[in-house]
Amino acid sequence: MKKLLCIICILCAALSLAACGGKTQEESAAGFKPSLDKNTRCAITVAGSYDNFEALEAEFDRFNTYYPNVQLSYVKLDDYNNILATALEGKDKPNIFFSHTWMFGNELYDPVFARMEDLSDPALRLNLDCIRPGLLSHDAEGHVPMAPVFSRTYGMLVNNDLFKKEGLSIPTTLTELVAVCKEFRGRGYDSPMMGYSLKASGSLMNTIAYPQFVATLADKPEALALANALDPAAGEYMRPALETVELLIREGCIDIDACDQISDNYNQVILRFFEGDVPMMLCYGDTVSGTRKRESQSEAFARSPFAYSFSPIPLTDKGGYFIDSPSVEFSVNKDCENLDMTNEFMRFLITKEELNEMAAVKRLVTPTTDLSFDSLFAPFARIPADRTMSPEVLGIRDPLTVQLRVAAFKVGKGELSIDEAVAMYGSFE
Amino acid sequence: MKKNWVILVNVFIMLAMLTFVILYSGFENRKNTQRQIEHFENTTITMEHVTENYLEGEQRICDVWAHYINSQDMTIEEAVSFIRISHVLPSASAHLIYLDTLSGLSTRARRENADDFSVSYERMELLNDVSWIHDIGQSINISRAYTNPVNGEQSLAFCNFITLYDPESDEPRKAILLRVLPLSELEQKWVFPQEEFENAELSLIDANGDYIIKGHSFKNASFFEFYRSYNAIEPGTAQELFKKITSSTGSLTMRNSRGEECILAYIPVTATEGWTLLSFMPVKDLRVNTENWLLIGFISAGLLILFIFDAAVILSFARKFHAAAMEAASANKAKTDFLSTMSHDIRTPMNAIIGLTTIAEKNLGDTDAVRESLRKITLASNHLLTLINDILDISKVESGKLNLSPVTFSVVETVENLVNLSQPMVKEKNIEFNFRINRMEKEYFYADQLRLNQIYINLLSNAIKYTEPGGRVSVDLCEEESQKPGCVRLTYTVADNGIGMSPEFMANMYQPFSRQTDSRVNSIQGTGLGLAITKQMVDLMGGSIDCRSEQGKGTTFTVVLDLPVAERQREDMLIDPMDILVVDDDAVFLETTADTLRSLGVTAECASSGPEAVSMIARRHEEGRDYSIVILDWKMPGMDGVETIRRIRREVDSNVPVLLISAYDGSDVEDAAKEAGANGFVSKPLFRSTLYDRINALLGTGTRSVEPENDYSDLKGMNILIAEDNDINWEIISAILNMFGITSERAENGRVCVEKMRGAAEGSYDLIFMDIQMPEMNGLDATRNIRALPNPWASSIPIIAMTADAFSENVTECLNAGMNGHIAKPVDIKLVIKEIRRIKEEKKS
Repeated sequence: MKKLLCIICILCAALSLAACGGKTQEESAAGFKPSLDKNTRCAITVAGSYDNFEALEAEFDRFNTYYPNVQLSYVKLDDYNNILATALEGKDKPNIFFSHTWMFGNELYDPVFARMEDLSDPALRLNLDCIRPGLLSHDAEGHVPMAPVFSRTYGMLVNNDLFKKEGLSIPTTLTELVAVCKEFRGRGYDSPMMGYSLKASGSLMNTIAYPQFVATLADKPEALALANALDPAAGEYMRPALETVELLIREGCIDIDACDQISDNYNQVILRFFEGDVPMMLCYGDTVSGTRKRESQSEAFARSPFAYSFSPIPLTDKGGYFIDSPSVEFSVNKDCENLDMTNEFMRFLITKEELNEMAAVKRLVTPTTDLSFDSLFAPFARIPADRTMSPEVLGIRDPLTVQLRVAAFKVGKGELSIDEAVAMYGSFE
Repeated sequence: MKKNWVILVNVFIMLAMLTFVILYSGFENRKNTQRQIEHFENTTITMEHVTENYLEGEQRICDVWAHYINSQDMTIEEAVSFIRISHVLPSASAHLIYLDTLSGLSTRARRENADDFSVSYERMELLNDVSWIHDIGQSINISRAYTNPVNGEQSLAFCNFITLYDPESDEPRKAILLRVLPLSELEQKWVFPQEEFENAELSLIDANGDYIIKGHSFKNASFFEFYRSYNAIEPGTAQELFKKITSSTGSLTMRNSRGEECILAYIPVTATEGWTLLSFMPVKDLRVNTENWLLIGFISAGLLILFIFDAAVILSFARKFHAAAMEAASANKAKTDFLSTMSHDIRTPMNAIIGLTTIAEKNLGDTDAVRESLRKITLASNHLLTLINDILDISKVESGKLNLSPVTFSVVETVENLVNLSQPMVKEKNIEFNFRINRMEKEYFYADQLRLNQIYINLLSNAIKYTEPGGRVSVDLCEEESQKPGCVRLTYTVADNGIGMSPEFMANMYQPFSRQTDSRVNSIQGTGLGLAITKQMVDLMGGSIDCRSEQGKGTTFTVVLDLPVAERQREDMLIDPMDILVVDDDAVFLETTADTLRSLGVTAECASSGPEAVSMIARRHEEGRDYSIVILDWKMPGMDGVETIRRIRREVDSNVPVLLISAYDGSDVEDAAKEAGANGFVSKPLFRSTLYDRINALLGTGTRSVEPENDYSDLKGMNILIAEDNDINWEIISAILNMFGITSERAENGRVCVEKMRGAAEGSYDLIFMDIQMPEMNGLDATRNIRALPNPWASSIPIIAMTADAFSENVTECLNAGMNGHIAKPVDIKLVIKEIRRIKEEKKS
């Protein structure tokens, strides 16, 4: 009898403990502690240019575990860059909206900047320290009007299994890159490196040239000033980058004709890579974000999946560069409704955990100081500081990038020689 | 069944009940959910009607505008003016966009510039492909949700192709009319009417799954992508599912982005081309919770309490059963011990009887030896009989069948019997014995005489048994008033200075088979049943028994009984006034006797010794006022009663009648007393009736001598019919009767007895001794038949039962059958003679 009573007591205790043991999300989430009434009922809208933003919607769900009655939604604004100012004036003005560093200095966006909240305001208690300093942009008054949620870089998708299969090592220097391409060509791979090459925007030529051009300008302020001023004299600084483009094409690493078969610089780039016969696919970091979803959409990949990673292109004999640039940034509309809850959401979002989580879902480079958390982008975490550069910190302006993008594309396509391209700096559109 | 099994079965039943409640509750919940889902589907259909009506209504307005514009050959400015006039909704606007440039005018100005009505869709993808716009009135031409380029609001546009007049080219110019409504307009129409669906959300998708209008909970750019993102599904199955969703009405469950199970209801919007209305909400919000956890908790708690209660009761029963088992084992052991003792105790007198019988047989020539053997056999037989009677009594006590059989009896006879029974052992042990009565006014009571005798005898015999030789035993019988109507209270006290009892033994002394463990006791014959029987009988008679005892100092038992007084009492006992001298060394006796005498109407004087009595008698004699009677105790210190009589007769020469109190049994001194001049004898205790009878007898007969007890001449010539089937019993009783000069005839059974009585001449038998258990006709039926005989003599002849059926109910049965008395076998010849004399006396009276 005593034994039986003990068993009953133990069962009751176990059930009680099990009931108490349900760990709440609140307890498990490190760092964030709600500061507003959890029953607050309101709506928050994030406006952006993405067709869809599942990673952000996942954050909405996580935020709802603290504030279940807050309705968060993402809205895509058509013709975003042109309509943003109007939308911020409108009846349905968004609480949070996408912003970009290139908006700095563009008077069209003055009304937009006028509505941006200073995210460095201590009252908001945002943990901006979790973001890599090179990604934070300040206005003339030292305010931080936007916080990056993703980072953009340049590199190449590497089919790790293919390298393994062919018994080759992933190259870490330019020499190794040329050599491994030669090996691949010898084994029947016509274009060991591929990428989008139909238009200058998003082309593989720019992917190769831009990091090197930034590196060339990095320690030459006077050159950078000339380049930003689109002074033709700055054309000479493009030469190393253009030569690398020409070298890779000349050495047979890249077959432009084959690359021209890729019809767009996002979807088709990924699907072509998933065919499984491309050792290295040159692309932006943004392109990588589409890989997960397309793993299931690619019949070839679904049939023969393989391991892949995103690595810097080894453009020098010391290795590649990590061009660390903000991709998407969030700004808070200081005139929006429910500003307190909006800031609460930003406080929730701008943490290492949440930004990493969002980056992992979106498959973009996280803007936080912890780059190595995602194995896909882990190679960039190994790039030393002297080859890590932030164009925004350096002061590289958007017009400059246009010059290089067109020049590299034309050289790569054989439309211009390197000398001609150098000479034409400042004149490209 | 073992205790643990009982508990396990209880637990199983509890769990089964709880499982049933939970399962049933779950079943009800599922049914209810199913009903809710159906309800949700129906509501979605209603919402589709609402949506369709709304879309058709808005499209109709657009159609009317387009018709009018087309019919009027308007410029764009004129068309805008016309529409501006036609606007009703403040939130609505219209855009007229040239197809070639994808730019035109808006009916509402830009916020930033009140004069700027220009609008461009050039950088928007919305109008890049206009194949979805059909001719006026053919369908609902509604755009997807898009950003109004004029105010940045998320909007919908109802479209129609129109033709405008271009004054610059003087040519008609193709354009699109967009009736633009904020998305919030439709969302307001999309409020579910039912409160339980307040969390439901709607979306419109096209045939490709792309959202036209997207609810908040719908994720991804396309519904199909949303489904695939959070629900595992094979590509082939997905295609079938999506086809089903976009082509039929129904519902399905799916996971949302939070992993919650949701219900998705879908219905095609018939007024559109391939559009489907989706309504979506978590299943948990649909559920009306019928899983009443309070009820389940209450039932659980109730079952648990019941279980604990049952367990406690079972434990209690188990403990009781255990105790009962222990008690039974103990009782069994006691009985075993008792049987062992009985075996010993029965064998002992049996051994004596058998052994002494053998000795007597071998010494038939030696009369003294035979007599001594027979005397000892008689003693052993009596002991054996007592033992058997006790066993039978305790058996009846234990079975609860001990009943009282009240009869009218004389307490004087009871006391005499008591004294008579006790005397042999008193004498044997040379015990100083006193039996005092106090204020005994009533003589006849209506109670169970047999049981009363048993109580009194048991206590007295115990006192005598457990008193050392030379000790003292006193009995006091006192009559007091009773609270019970028609009763008097008799207090019977037996005190001795015997071995006493230990407190431990006293705690259990009324338990059957208990005897004190004492070396002195073990040598005393006893069954260990006497006190148990006594206690039971006292309780049965509604009385009380009290005991005070101290080891080595003695024991006092007091029994108090309220006995009903019989209707029959002696007539008023009064004697003519006279002077009586009472002589005894016992002051209490003197006082009580004097009181009794005074109640009879005489003057009593007392003397405490023989010399004092002689002196008082002499003085009276000298005064010429002789005492009418002297009542003199035999045993007195110094001068005893006999010597006192001698001195009275010698020194006073008085003829005063002297009654000698023979102290319980006067037979030893009777001869000497008669020789000394005693006129009569009376035994203690002196009841009022005893004194009355003796005094009257003495005064009426003068110096009548006492009739010797062994004079049975009055019985000679009697003829008794004995109904007895057993030859030996017949032989014994006939021989015994013959010893007293009584003749007897045998009837072998009841029927023969009846026949004999039927044919007998009047007076041929004085009475019948009737056995009960006989073949052909038993004694009870025979008695009834005899009582039914027509001959009055035969029907009224005294019948005495003589049977081994010795229980009180057997006695009652006999009396109820019409018998006049009961003698239990083995027969005590004294009782037989006493009964014969009683019958004879009753016949005389």
